[in-house]
Amino acid sequence: MRGRARGKILAIKWGMNPNSSSLGVDVTFLLVGATALAMVTPIVGALLRWRKALPVEPTTAAPTEGSE
Amino acid sequence: MRLAARGWDAVQTIAQRVRVAREFRPRRTRLERFGAIVQLTVPRALVFVDRAFARASLDVGDEPAVWQGAEPALGDHVLSAPLEAHLQLTNRCTAGCQGCYTGASPEGAPHEYGLVEWARAIDRLADAGVFHVALGGGESAVLPWLGELADHARRRGIIPNLTTSGLDGLDRLVGIADRFGQINVSLDGLHATYAAVRGFDGFAQADAAIRRLRAVKREIGINVVVTRHNFGELDGIFAYAAERRLSEVELLRFKPSGRGARAYLDLRCSDAQHRAFLPTILAAARRHQVRVKVDCSYTPMLAHHRPDRALLAELAVYGCTGGDFLVGAKPGGQLTACSFAAPPPAVDGVRPKVDELAAYWTAPGAFGAFRTWRAAREPCASCEYHTLCRGGCKVVSSHVTGELDAPDPECPRVVDHAPRVHRLPVVV
Repeated sequence: MRGRARGKILAIKWGMNPNSSSLGVDVTFLLVGATALAMVTPIVGALLRWRKALPVEPTTAAPTEGSE
Repeated sequence: MRLAARGWDAVQTIAQRVRVAREFRPRRTRLERFGAIVQLTVPRALVFVDRAFARASLDVGDEPAVWQGAEPALGDHVLSAPLEAHLQLTNRCTAGCQGCYTGASPEGAPHEYGLVEWARAIDRLADAGVFHVALGGGESAVLPWLGELADHARRRGIIPNLTTSGLDGLDRLVGIADRFGQINVSLDGLHATYAAVRGFDGFAQADAAIRRLRAVKREIGINVVVTRHNFGELDGIFAYAAERRLSEVELLRFKPSGRGARAYLDLRCSDAQHRAFLPTILAAARRHQVRVKVDCSYTPMLAHHRPDRALLAELAVYGCTGGDFLVGAKPGGQLTACSFAAPPPAVDGVRPKVDELAAYWTAPGAFGAFRTWRAAREPCASCEYHTLCRGGCKVVSSHVTGELDAPDPECPRVVDHAPRVHRLPVVV
């Protein structure tokens, strides 16, 4: 999650959540700790940087005001 | 041998994902105040990036309007739309589980949406930028149009995922399993424990469903509602998942909702079990080499072990993100902050339907207490994990204390903070 000049990855939410009652999050990385994630994150970053720039897809959503 | 099987599974999984993504291209990007969210198919992930990273990797053109003003941190503001929506397609189910959080019945709920209405809801969610839907019930597998709805979601760039009991509608579901991103079967215990948790012996049927689904699809997992009755069996459940070559075990905390409100005192885990939860599941995941997921309500039990806060943030481990990262919808389309929650307070006298998400999302007071978690009382206010945990599960808080915004009463920190009541023996 480093690299100030070229920006940084803030978080990665792994996998899908099939559970229709709550938000599931993969905690398998807690087994191996921050070091393993620090090794994987640059690979994900490279996947995003090295391919053709993705178009920004439009939405009807608007950000909410305030800091809630 | 197991390693070779896993490698083969991985290769086939990737090939299948790429093939489906070519046929139905999922939404790949969404701008946010902090930067953007980018969806990857291989590996499967939602990646949150800051503005500089987004400028370097996306075709953003001129400075987007959403980036006006100072760049906030992830979590400082509500997202521009949910990441995922949990759609309770029906409340019909014949299983009659004693802890069912929706109180499902063979008759279902009055005025349930049909295919046309749910397809319209999917359209509105896609327009808003939602990435995934999790379809559930009741038992959604009995719906004759489930495959059609999943196809519609795919066409609109939303990846549909599914939870099923495996007890009904299986023949139809096996035929449409490839349309879903991930399917999990609810399995709350092995053999007799299944019956102790659910109130009837459905293990053999659920196991048969898991084997049939796994024969046609690799991304099959199990959802396990953790109760005091199956806690001691978690290692065995992970062993079962490994034996069936399932892709994940997702662990869910028991919620006092629907019929679960009546069964709560009998089924909820003890405080000691909550404190032992994280080391127990990580040991089981390591021993059996199975991926483990936990639901949002378990964040207080993770924080209890003081894990690296930055690591939790980087893994997007959050507590209650109802009305922010996720929303729910009841069978009649009523919008909720999460599937366990009652519909939110009316705005201008109107309770919103899921089709009206975009308008309601920015309304003042939308989702009530689910968005006011920053105004926390102790011991949440001084907890270093509070901006991630957000006070724990509001559904549990509401049931136990009567207040949605009270600290989660099952959080070990909250338990330790509560005034000790020393009961003196009664001397006659």
